[in-house]
Amino acid sequence: MSCIRFLTKHSPSSSFSSSILRHIRFMSNVPENTVYSGPTPQTANQRTTLMQLRQKHRNSKPITMVTAYDYPSAVHLDMAGIDICLVGDSASMVVHGHDTTLPITVDEMLVHCRAVARGAKNPMLVGDLPFGSYESSSDQAVDTAVRILKEGGMDAIKLEGGSPSRIVAAKAIVEAGIAVMGHVGLTPQAISVLGGFRPQGRNILSAVKVVETALALQEAGCFSVVLECVPAPVAAAATAALQIPTIGIGAGPFCSGQVLVYHDLLGMLQHPHHAKVTPKFCKQYARVGDIINKALLEYKEDVTNGSFPDAHHSPYKISEADAEGFSNELQKLGFDKAASAASEAVQKLNATK
Amino acid sequence: MSCIRFLTKHSPSSSFSSSILRHIRFMSNVPENTVYSGPTPQIANQRTTLMQLRQKHRNSKPITMVTAYDYPSAVHLDMAGIDICLVGDSASMVVHGHDTTLPITVDEMLVHCRAVARDAKNPMLVGDLPFGSYESSSDQAVDTAVRILKEGGMDAIKLEGGSPSRIVAAKAIVEAGIAVMGHVGLTPQAISVLGGFRPQGRNILSAVKVVETALALQEAGCFSVVLECVPAPVAAAATAALQIPTIGIGAGPFCSGQVLVYHDLLGMLQHPHHAKVTPKFCKQYARVGDIINKALLEYKEDVTNGSFPDAHHSPYKISEADAEGFSNELQKLGFDKAASAASEAVQRLNATK
Repeated sequence: MSCIRFLTKHSPSSSFSSSILRHIRFMSNVPENTVYSGPTPQTANQRTTLMQLRQKHRNSKPITMVTAYDYPSAVHLDMAGIDICLVGDSASMVVHGHDTTLPITVDEMLVHCRAVARGAKNPMLVGDLPFGSYESSSDQAVDTAVRILKEGGMDAIKLEGGSPSRIVAAKAIVEAGIAVMGHVGLTPQAISVLGGFRPQGRNILSAVKVVETALALQEAGCFSVVLECVPAPVAAAATAALQIPTIGIGAGPFCSGQVLVYHDLLGMLQHPHHAKVTPKFCKQYARVGDIINKALLEYKEDVTNGSFPDAHHSPYKISEADAEGFSNELQKLGFDKAASAASEAVQKLNATK
Repeated sequence: MSCIRFLTKHSPSSSFSSSILRHIRFMSNVPENTVYSGPTPQIANQRTTLMQLRQKHRNSKPITMVTAYDYPSAVHLDMAGIDICLVGDSASMVVHGHDTTLPITVDEMLVHCRAVARDAKNPMLVGDLPFGSYESSSDQAVDTAVRILKEGGMDAIKLEGGSPSRIVAAKAIVEAGIAVMGHVGLTPQAISVLGGFRPQGRNILSAVKVVETALALQEAGCFSVVLECVPAPVAAAATAALQIPTIGIGAGPFCSGQVLVYHDLLGMLQHPHHAKVTPKFCKQYARVGDIINKALLEYKEDVTNGSFPDAHHSPYKISEADAEGFSNELQKLGFDKAASAASEAVQRLNATK
């Protein structure tokens, strides 16, 4: 209420509604000039919107995107000021330990989406449609996309591929009012036909196909397209041909933005099996896995040699009088060993003070 | 097959079956002298068993336990040689960002259990029964425990509390053939009656209750008991009174073992809100949250100023001939901007070599 009053004082009545609405942005896919925008938040919503992404793209400022799968990673992305947070089906590999992105289900994705939505207030939230949840028909695609937004709390969805049925599905989802991010090049859900995680666009036919597919997705209404594992010139061509931004991964420096998987960029995974598949295009900005390993070994050492917990980490006290009463009570109940253990503990603690 | 042959060569026939079976341990709660132990693994199973925990306890060697909620953390615990891996309902707070452990459901717990079970081959796996999944009746408790083992792949379960109905439920679960770890002291699922996350056992009555409850759980068949947030003398008394090991958290140095939450011990969470509730009893063995933050800021910087990806991180090539053909093809299709972008890209890449 007071917020509206404040705004009326400072704005001429003709631009009244637009002044309020400029300050109210709940979801990044709600157009700014809505008549009814719901309850007024106490603090202005800081979430990255489609308009802001478009602005960045127009001003040739690179867009940053990172994946997240739970509350802590979402908070980290929030604090680092990353533009877009993708709840990717890469969770199947880095969180669930599968060898491919195929096994993860919509329900599992929704668990990740909700956790991320809870922690990230600033980045735009994009949720992946997992393998098997959108390929049968446009209806299935729209239903899944709706669940990702409704139950998962995301702002937009991403789907892979550019075959005619995928384009039709993307269009149907956009028509349902859900922003769609496309994904071309190496599409990990299609490793069955691709014959593995193999970079695309490395010959003329394939390269032209990448560009054409990206254009078709733009035509269908996508707000951006991910280009994965294609040669840099091909990504450059696609980026120039499109009006919407391209987000690259393993696609060279000529895209409108970049995306990396959280665990890869942080060097989180130390499993020998995973070290084999750490992507070549990913720069490790830290070696968190090493640090975690070292810390756990130190903890194990501390516990094994009895140095943790020390007095500083044993903060809960019982008064000496009560401790004595406790010891006596135990003796009455017949627990002699326990009674003496309690007394000894009190003595030991007093000794260390 | 060859494994069995190898063993026959080296063992006298009378102890044939026991030699094989000594090397075959799938689940830590399968007694060693089973007649039929299922398919022979190629490599001996390394998983920590109940027997090994008992041995450690008998030899007064401290038991280490850490929580894990996904594949990477499970792998880290595996590599660090931690004895027990607990898939705790603390996931509700540290993974899902809730303020309490109450909201998490059995299905969400199972997602975490499966992810952990997939690649933690060495630690014993214990799964928490989440709030609301075992309190109605013993039947409900047994059903949930069965799901945690069957669908979640865990070796044992942990349940909180020591009221009579909880003791009965624990007994029913043990009778169903599932190992149970008890949990007394501050039981986070009971904050409603406790009035918050408040340490227990700080007066005589409460302290005696902790010891008696632990004993009742031992009586019901539990293989160990977690003591959370009680004064050290009380934990010492309980540890002395029990024949089974006690695992302490915020309970001082006199327990048979220690447990900490993964994110707390690694300093993973940087959210101001969480920093408020980082427990006093937890020693931070690393400040992973700081490192993650720094790494993400560096990534954002690199992308924004265009220095990532550099040539080293753009490995996918298209031959010069194909690049030219691609450019021509694009021109034929009318994508002039794209065609020139592709050519420029090739030139720029050649320049940087």
